[in-house]
Amino acid sequence: MKRLLRRFSFWLLIGFILAGIWGPSLFDMNAETQVASPFSKPLWIGKDSPPAMTFTLTPKTRAAQFQWVYPAPPNIAIWGTVELNKPSSASLVWETPDGDRIEIARNEDLPSFNVDIDGRDMSFKTSLGLSPFDNPMEKLFPSKGKYTLRMSPDDLDIRSGAIHVRIEGARWGLLGTDQRGRDVFHLFLLGIRVSLLVGICATILATLLGVSVGLVAGYAGGMVDTILMRLVDILLAIPGLPILMVLAGIWGKGLWQLIVILSIFSWMGTARTIRSLTLSLRESAFVEGLRALGARPSYIMYRHLLPESLPILLANIALGVPSAILAEAGLSFLGLSDPRIISWGRMLNEAHGFGAFTTGAWWLILPPGVGISLICLVFLDLGRTLEEMADPRLRGGGKR
Amino acid sequence: MTRIFRNYWTRRIAGSIAVLLMVLVLNFFLFRIMPGDPVSTIIDPHFSPQAKMHLRSQFGLDLPLYRQFYLYVKSLVTFNFGHSFLSQKPVWEELKTRIPNTVFLLGTAFLLSAALGTWLGVKAAHKRGGVLEKVVLVAGSISFSFPSFFVQLVLLLVFGWAIPIFPIRGSLSVPPPEGIMALWDFLWHMTLPISSLVLLGFGSWAIYVRNLMIKTLSEDYILLARAKGLPENKVLWGHAFRASLPPIVTMFLLALPGILSGAVITETVFSLHGVGKFLLDSILGHDYPAAGAAFYLLAIITIICNLAADFAYGLVDPRIRLGRKME
Amino acid sequence: MIQLRSLSVSYRTPRGTVAALKNINFHIPYGSATAIVGESGSGKSTLLHSIMRLLPPEAMLSGQIIFQETDVTSLDDKALQSFRWRKCSMVLQGAMSSFNPVLTIGRQISEVLVHHLGFLWKEAFEKSEELLKMVGLPKSFLDRFPHELSGGQKQRAAIAMALACKPPCLLADEPTTALDVITQAEIILLLKEITQKNQMTLCMVTHDLPLALSVCDRLAVMHKGEIVEVQTPSGILNNPTHPHTRKLVESIRSIEERGSRT
Repeated sequence: MKRLLRRFSFWLLIGFILAGIWGPSLFDMNAETQVASPFSKPLWIGKDSPPAMTFTLTPKTRAAQFQWVYPAPPNIAIWGTVELNKPSSASLVWETPDGDRIEIARNEDLPSFNVDIDGRDMSFKTSLGLSPFDNPMEKLFPSKGKYTLRMSPDDLDIRSGAIHVRIEGARWGLLGTDQRGRDVFHLFLLGIRVSLLVGICATILATLLGVSVGLVAGYAGGMVDTILMRLVDILLAIPGLPILMVLAGIWGKGLWQLIVILSIFSWMGTARTIRSLTLSLRESAFVEGLRALGARPSYIMYRHLLPESLPILLANIALGVPSAILAEAGLSFLGLSDPRIISWGRMLNEAHGFGAFTTGAWWLILPPGVGISLICLVFLDLGRTLEEMADPRLRGGGKR
Repeated sequence: MTRIFRNYWTRRIAGSIAVLLMVLVLNFFLFRIMPGDPVSTIIDPHFSPQAKMHLRSQFGLDLPLYRQFYLYVKSLVTFNFGHSFLSQKPVWEELKTRIPNTVFLLGTAFLLSAALGTWLGVKAAHKRGGVLEKVVLVAGSISFSFPSFFVQLVLLLVFGWAIPIFPIRGSLSVPPPEGIMALWDFLWHMTLPISSLVLLGFGSWAIYVRNLMIKTLSEDYILLARAKGLPENKVLWGHAFRASLPPIVTMFLLALPGILSGAVITETVFSLHGVGKFLLDSILGHDYPAAGAAFYLLAIITIICNLAADFAYGLVDPRIRLGRKME
Repeated sequence: MIQLRSLSVSYRTPRGTVAALKNINFHIPYGSATAIVGESGSGKSTLLHSIMRLLPPEAMLSGQIIFQETDVTSLDDKALQSFRWRKCSMVLQGAMSSFNPVLTIGRQISEVLVHHLGFLWKEAFEKSEELLKMVGLPKSFLDRFPHELSGGQKQRAAIAMALACKPPCLLADEPTTALDVITQAEIILLLKEITQKNQMTLCMVTHDLPLALSVCDRLAVMHKGEIVEVQTPSGILNNPTHPHTRKLVESIRSIEERGSRT
């Protein structure tokens, strides 16, 4: 046990599990919402790419000033309502470093000043004097320097309200955004849940199946054994990914269907191992003794043979999880999983389908891929450690 | 051949036939247990009701199940796979053009990774603790845990975007060049896919062969071979490798069916014109005749490979050839 | 024939360095049949293997091994390869794995002839036939695989293989251990007969003291990596000087006595 605790991969796995369970709650919004412009780079690279910026104009602060040393951002959104004490005309003025003053919103004698601007709106573009095909951002951000947005006139009688401004950057977060503007890091954390859930459940199910078949086949022998082993041969002869694809395509792409399908086609290896173990143990002295005492086969199988196989079984489980995770990732990548569920395979599917590599958006490709690989490596390492722990005991004849 | 030998073979062939039958039954029922009208798996749902009625009797869908099965088997054997819903063309037409691409992709990648992996495994076992051995162990871990599409996407990033020297999609350029240049163009398109498969595959080969060779090299007859004054090269390859050959050959042919999955993913990533991508597109597009046919083809290949594995093992290991019982 | 001077061998293990041979000084005279006896772990196999430098890579050797005036320890790889089998050949224990299971007997015997003596394969096979005859095996065995032969037959074939290049010296490492008693006797007699007929020097390692006493004219007793006694068979039996030798002799006597009591 101590040996297990000393391994780095064990702690990495714990880290992944914790991150998967609690990580997403660090974010106060749903992962599906758009947080920034699509294909934003991570914050820590591309320092010459515009970051996102938000600020608010309130009754107290009627102007906002900021430095802008980047190229024009992808988009800007300005929204909000300001209640006036008496109807009057008001406007929002945008001042550029070059000295231009652009009026971007106007209110004519209404009791409240309502603003709802998105940089892509045609009405906005025309109000700036542009055609529907021009980029208003170039006009708003012509050069680097100090920019100001202010409510005008300065003595406007405001009762309450606020105007929010969001400049969409081309940079966001730890790992940027995907083609829908979703935070990749958030998606990555959610992906942990799916991989671990599918991997572990499918493997446990497959192990239960495999152990049952193996025990029965090994202990009963004869015709039962032959039939079961023929079944194993037949299932092994069916090409793996194609049958998974066909089943997923026909039956359904849901998460639980996936788990069941995966387990149906991965129990065979365990069955064989358990069967040979049972065959060798069946002839051993203590089993003969149990039989002489009148123990029923099911008792012998589940109360004695099973515990003997436990160490090897644990190792098999740990080694089987990577293949389940890879299979799930593969099916998701091919598009044969529930599109509403965020998994690493699906992230790679979208990266491929929406041309991540033509835009060089490596942050869409590396995180999910590295995630899958790391988790598989972790389980492989743990499996090998468990095998080592199991082996000397078995070789030495077990605890008896 | 001794009588025992033939007995071994009849068992194996009977086993393969059993598997084939199982696959046929599976294929048959798989596409008919769909929720809803079973007719929609055979006949294009876009046809008019009258056409469907007509085709229903034509396909014998009103016949008892066993007769349907007989007709189904007959059609498969004659390569009559029906018509694709998506393209309206006979499925066999679609498959015909794709099979060579897939075979080339898989065949080349498999051979190259097996050859490279085996060579590295032998060398790594020979010089224990050397640099080569560490490389082999790392590459093996990669083989087992890195998803193939990830490595391929990274390759696409590097060689398709960062250093754009290889094409990133398709088996041929559009429009394809003439004559001998077409072959060169094809190979150029295949470079990235094949390289990715080799990169992913050689690791597990190398580890397997390395482990095998370590065991073999510790045998007494290797010590004796050295004592006989044979040069080290001869001892390594002529004796140690030669003795490890039977399990390597078995592994070679047993691994063959496994690479079919690699075909599906690789062809999807690189948009190649192959059977794997055809299977995927058919499934996603609910084109059941096409999907059924593609799956059937892949299953046949798997069964043939398994039989070939048994055959080759019998050839290479004299203990099997001479009829020893193997169980 | 063979002179060992200050020979020491130790093995590097994960648990540290283990000394297998400690400062051996020993010589094997021409034409003798020498036996090296001792219990497991006494270092006798290591001694034998070191003569042809067949030690594993984790072994560290110091000292000199003079074979007919050549210092074996100073030979380079090429010279070592031509030294092996031509000047000195070997028969291993457990004939189970002396032969490569996937190659025929004939192939494995002939390859030494092809490599060392420049035979063509066809000629080599013909010569191998003669060699098999010498050890009492039929020509059909040339095309057989090792698993088709019994233990005794395999050992005979191994002896035939050892004689191929007519070496002046033959080393045998526990040649009879894995065999039944009758076959043991046959093999040991065969060895004795062949080495005497061809004027070869025989050096045999065994833990079977009675066997060594009956066959060899010179015995060396090893204990914990050192040679503790060298004498003729009668000398060992009647005049054991070292306490360990005495223990060995006494254990045989007590078995004999127990046998004679029944």
